[in-house]
Amino acid sequence: MQDFFSHPAVQAGLVPFIVGLVIAELFHRIKLSGLCIIAGFAVTVYLVADFSFEPLTSTRKLVWLGLGTAALGLALSWITARWLSILLAIFAAISVIWVVQRILQQQETNTMLLWGAACALYLATLTYGLDQLNTKPLRAAHAAFGLGIGTGGCALIGASALLGQLGLAIGSAASAHLFIQLVSNQSVTSKCTFTLPIAIISGIIGCIAVLGAELPWYALPILAAIPLTVWLLPLPQQSNKWMHSLILAFPTFALASTAMYVTWRVAGDVPY
Amino acid sequence: MLKLSLPAFIVAAAFPLAALATDYAIDSSHTYPHFSVSHLGFSTMQGRFDKTTGTIYLDRAAKKGSIDITIEVASISTGFAKRDKHLRGPDFFNSAEFPTITYKSTKMNFKNDVPVSVEGNLTMAGASKPVTLNIDSFKCGMHPMKKKEMCGAAASAQLKRSYFGIKYGLPAVGDDIKLVFEIEALKK
Repeated sequence: MQDFFSHPAVQAGLVPFIVGLVIAELFHRIKLSGLCIIAGFAVTVYLVADFSFEPLTSTRKLVWLGLGTAALGLALSWITARWLSILLAIFAAISVIWVVQRILQQQETNTMLLWGAACALYLATLTYGLDQLNTKPLRAAHAAFGLGIGTGGCALIGASALLGQLGLAIGSAASAHLFIQLVSNQSVTSKCTFTLPIAIISGIIGCIAVLGAELPWYALPILAAIPLTVWLLPLPQQSNKWMHSLILAFPTFALASTAMYVTWRVAGDVPY
Repeated sequence: MLKLSLPAFIVAAAFPLAALATDYAIDSSHTYPHFSVSHLGFSTMQGRFDKTTGTIYLDRAAKKGSIDITIEVASISTGFAKRDKHLRGPDFFNSAEFPTITYKSTKMNFKNDVPVSVEGNLTMAGASKPVTLNIDSFKCGMHPMKKKEMCGAAASAQLKRSYFGIKYGLPAVGDDIKLVFEIEALKK
């Protein structure tokens, strides 16, 4: 059993998917199925890392911030004000600076400012884009799946197995949300509990991977295009959910695959 | 006569002791901290750090000493570039966030006038923990070419990487690390 749970595909794929599925189904009635994301993420953290505070590395900050955003998302789930998207984007921009602060401090001032601003912009774009999908569960699930798999795949190739697994875990949990929507043929709520952790966790993984390892910076705008494309892509009114899903899947996978390809071109094969 | 000879005697007696209290600068080109760790239980991987700086203070007569070493994490070398990149990354040493490993002694233990162990704090990947280095060999003398006083030592410690929060790949990649410092230091 220990060997089974030690396998990376089980830790970052199967387990977060099953946990995501259970949580999404359990909390569906009270419109909090979006909690499946943080549940899938938390179980992978439990399997591959830990919940300790010391030393408070950027990865540990990511874990705690991820859990915190789920709680914040829960509190904000019933607020539908337009200004909230902007406020959350600002929150995301500030939070990534806090996470990568020590890495930035090792750089010269110009580099520090440039990288800090780029990371803040990346997080703000993701958060704003995903927040527009709060009331569009199918689009939100596709964006989350693409972003999780894309970020996880890029991190796995270009940076770190741990960051890769954390990214893939949220992608797997998002796929559970998508699976329920397609199988039950009904809308499963997404809301802030779903979109905010996805934006913050995947965004910060991308930034740490660029700053701390070999993820090329230009993979990030490609990944940032995923929620924006899914948000803006027109869908035919008459088609069913499966057709919509198929239409959304094409650009999502194309962007995620492109980001992974450009990362692979720079980093080469993984050393694991 | 006595008045004149006593200060002279004190100076003469103290001089050899003062001469033994010396500050040394670590010779980076002959100092390589290296480590070994089990890989999947099949073999033991070896690695080393190529850039190390620091100072050593030694007063053998007073049986006192200190050591302050800084290792550049980015200089890690295991003979395979891809693995080195992985070791520098967030899974292991996290060099972007914690570019150095430091060892600062708190106490040096002697047997007669020879240091046998050093107690101190090893700071790695953001975690600082007490680590005792056992000195396996120690020799001081004159550098044959530079004609400068120097000391050399081999010191080792056994530690667990998980103790420093480096937990990636456990238990497949071993937790127990043997750390060995091969040090040469020249008198300042």
